[in-house]
Amino acid sequence: MRMRKWLGITLAAVLSLSMLAGCSGNSGGKNANATEPPASSNSENASNGSSGAPVTLKWALWDWEATAYYQPLIDAYKAKNPNVTIEYVDLGSTDYMTMLSTQLSGGADLDILTVKDIPGYANLVKQNHLEPLKKYMSEQSIDVSQYGGTVEQIQMNDEVYALPFRSDFWVIYYNKDLFDKAGVPYPTNDMTLEQYDELARKMTSGSGSDKVYGAHYHTWRSAVQLFGILDGQHTVVDGEYDFLKPTYERILKQQEDGIVMDYATLKTSSTHYSGVFYNNSVAMMNMGSWFIATQIEKVKSGESQATNWGIVKYPHPEGVEPGTTLGTITSLAVNKKSANKEAALDFLKFVTGEEGAAVIAATGTIPAIKNAEVVNSIASVDGFPADEASKEALTTVKTYLEMPLHEKSADIEVILNEAHDNIMTKNATIDKGLSDMKTRVQLILNN
Amino acid sequence: MVGANKGIQIAAKAFAYIVLIIVVLCMLVPYLWMLSSSLKLNKDVFTFPMQWIPELPRWSNYQEIWTRIPLGTFIYNTAKLSIIVTALQILTSSFAAYAFSKLNFTGKKTLFLGYIATIAIPWQAYMVPQFIMMRSMGLNNTHLAIILLQAFSAFGVFLMRQFYQSIPDELCEAARIDGLSEYGIWARIMLPLSKPALSTLTIFTFVSTWNDFLGPMIYLTKTELKTIQIGLRMFISQYSAEYGLIMAASVVSIIPVLVVFLGLQKYFVQGVASSGIKG
Amino acid sequence: MQNETVIRNNTGTKSGLTKRLKDHLVAYSFIAPNFIGFAVFTLVPMVFALILAFVKWDGANPMEYVGMSNFIRLWKDPTFLRALWNTIIYTVGVVPLTMVCALGLAILLNQKIFGRNFMRTVFFFPYVASLVAVAAVWNFIFSPTMGPVNNILHALTGIPIEELPRWAADKDWAMFTVVLFTVWKNMGYYMVIYLAGLQGVNPELYEAAELDGANAWQRFRNVTIPQLAPTTFFVLMILIINSFKVYDIFINLFAGADNQLNDSTRVLVYQIYNTAFRSLDYGYASAMAIVLFLLVLGITLVQFQGEKKYGQ
Repeated sequence: MRMRKWLGITLAAVLSLSMLAGCSGNSGGKNANATEPPASSNSENASNGSSGAPVTLKWALWDWEATAYYQPLIDAYKAKNPNVTIEYVDLGSTDYMTMLSTQLSGGADLDILTVKDIPGYANLVKQNHLEPLKKYMSEQSIDVSQYGGTVEQIQMNDEVYALPFRSDFWVIYYNKDLFDKAGVPYPTNDMTLEQYDELARKMTSGSGSDKVYGAHYHTWRSAVQLFGILDGQHTVVDGEYDFLKPTYERILKQQEDGIVMDYATLKTSSTHYSGVFYNNSVAMMNMGSWFIATQIEKVKSGESQATNWGIVKYPHPEGVEPGTTLGTITSLAVNKKSANKEAALDFLKFVTGEEGAAVIAATGTIPAIKNAEVVNSIASVDGFPADEASKEALTTVKTYLEMPLHEKSADIEVILNEAHDNIMTKNATIDKGLSDMKTRVQLILNN
Repeated sequence: MVGANKGIQIAAKAFAYIVLIIVVLCMLVPYLWMLSSSLKLNKDVFTFPMQWIPELPRWSNYQEIWTRIPLGTFIYNTAKLSIIVTALQILTSSFAAYAFSKLNFTGKKTLFLGYIATIAIPWQAYMVPQFIMMRSMGLNNTHLAIILLQAFSAFGVFLMRQFYQSIPDELCEAARIDGLSEYGIWARIMLPLSKPALSTLTIFTFVSTWNDFLGPMIYLTKTELKTIQIGLRMFISQYSAEYGLIMAASVVSIIPVLVVFLGLQKYFVQGVASSGIKG
Repeated sequence: MQNETVIRNNTGTKSGLTKRLKDHLVAYSFIAPNFIGFAVFTLVPMVFALILAFVKWDGANPMEYVGMSNFIRLWKDPTFLRALWNTIIYTVGVVPLTMVCALGLAILLNQKIFGRNFMRTVFFFPYVASLVAVAAVWNFIFSPTMGPVNNILHALTGIPIEELPRWAADKDWAMFTVVLFTVWKNMGYYMVIYLAGLQGVNPELYEAAELDGANAWQRFRNVTIPQLAPTTFFVLMILIINSFKVYDIFINLFAGADNQLNDSTRVLVYQIYNTAFRSLDYGYASAMAIVLFLLVLGITLVQFQGEKKYGQ
């Protein structure tokens, strides 16, 4: 009995001690934050930083090895600011936003944060990890119109917490050889969804290992569901989902008719969209512009046998202007608790600004600032399709974010993905799946 | 009568062999496929019909995994962590298990039950508080963090305690009468008698540290500290997954674990515990 | 100091005191190295996480005490209940099957048979191999229309391929598939534990039983089973706990590109993970973890009583 008591006391002591340690660690961070001098008075120092004291910035990102523009960006920045050293912290792509949020909750000394998706961004803002940027932007007179309307879409509580540096949008990739062989004219930059469906049916042929599928949808929700939002009438965070019914009907019909590969098979066999395109087994594929650089590279290395290819604009609903498409942005933010805020802000300004855009475009990736110069630069990358239509496909008129910003984005996304999966695997009928989305999202919206 | 019995015996044996061979084949098929995929281009990994022997084996996959990522460093780090964690785990677990199995003290049962039940709490539920605490102790980005997290587990204590239960108490009593201290009994009687269990725990701890992913992912963000499982996932990036390389790296990463497993096989010998009674 | 005086008053004689105290100190000294490490690095954060069940916390901003409301929410949350149900079904499927397979293999591979070490290694293989790789292989082999399994089944039974189970992609077969996969992957692990346990069985007991005229089944029933009781208890507990905690296997087998599970495959830890990290609702996630903890604690208590009875 006595011993148990003694043990209890020790346990309690250990517990409270480490709690104390935990707390002091936390409040240490907060203190540092509070005692920091107001940023505005010193903001000029950072920009003429070449003469400044040495600073080391830590940059949280993913896929360091597989991303072409990180090193060139750092090199370009260092050439102008030799006193700044930039260290990267690779948190992996799979669970990047979770890892980042865990690191920040633990008080990690990261300075610059790459924001991978909108739900993750909303979470970081809610957790109070991000430095508000509006004041800095007006001081540095950063013009948000150059980002083509995306910055407005990530405003939260009348503030902006991140600026995009990379902005991808969806296009149709097609295999010219397969079209030539079938004697069907190439897709165009102005296709309605019905025309796209028709063309896909026309292009389907063969069976067994020679089978050519007219179109291909990757297993992401965005590859299928978001055709429904292109008319601008609805968003996926409204809590009403009946408008998605025609989209699902069309795509499930294509699946049944063997126009596209079966979702369940694709998912279970981990089939990657790039593989089926490389192997000449699909005629057309809707995919983000990030695939341009990969496809060019793999044609060069010989892995992609779809050597004769092109891109056209995303198909659109009747009565919507061609060039309307889905987009996804990758942005930079600054850790609110960063000890080198000014330097970090300066780096952010560089990467998200025109200089950064030029560096990114040179690697074949589409930067957030997409002026004529950038479009030319990408279209002139060696290996980019030579036809005019492909170059024209790089311009967009209206881009809807794959996941619009909403306080509950993360929760809503989970529900949408699950219901989507149920519909596509036929675990639920379309009606059941959509009403499921509605009930569960409504529950979250009203909570 | 005797002949019939023998016939049954032979039939039973033949049956056992057939079952075993079928099961062995089932177990091996995925590995053969893994091996064959490790010699393919990424786009050819998941193509139907399956191709067991690649037309043009890409041995270069096995070269590429060493240059694309610092695999050598990762293997060194993982080996270092696995060896230290395993050594600590074996030592502290077998030590604690002795008290739970052969000694009497107040609160034994409660403490033991509590120990087991904590295994049930998923790590995902407390990883953030744990990370906050470890960071405040300055252990972020150190191998020490992983060692401290992995080395003291309730699992090891539980495993060793169960094995000690099957060692007769009389052995300990006799040793006590001979004047051996409890530490002496642990070192001279329990340890030598529990070689199969120690080998089991060694294998398990080694494998779980070797294959651990989430822990290193959160605690080790510097490339020079990372482990092999993080390395494997470096071939899966945001927009692509290079399965040819993943398979090649998986094949390489299995080898050390198999060496450990085969090396410890010789300790799985029947009757170690009972031979002690006679001696 | 205070403790010592109290003990003295209670026990009376001095030698009794020192003996008892010494015995206890020795016992605690055995436990201390593991327990202190465990307490500081695991138990403390664990307790902290469990306390979170009574607050609302997003991982960064100040917490807010909410009493029992997280627990009340649980019983009205269909997603959680579904996850709990799936987890229980999974556990019920995995535990007995794995135990039987593991024990059977262990007994077979404890005989002096040809290629024993090779076979032991082969059976342990799936446990060792990287989950990412084996899950991909498994899914590929069980792929609905093109995979070899369904093609062989089609050839054997003549049932059209479209009517055969779609395994991981089929809501009615998904659980069966994952149980099969888990047994395949983990039986080698439990086989090793049983193998270690079998080494502790006294061969004289078999000899004695044989002299008494017991046949193979009787020897198994009356010698092997009782002698293995502590091992079986361990295997059973760890199997149950690991099945309740399952996460990686489901993610790798089912989650796909969106990293999501659906209604027929959602499990408890996935729900905990999502609630904490995607919805930033750490308190609610902790409440789920407590349910899991209590479930396992209850099973442990029942088992513990059983072990005592059976072990005698």
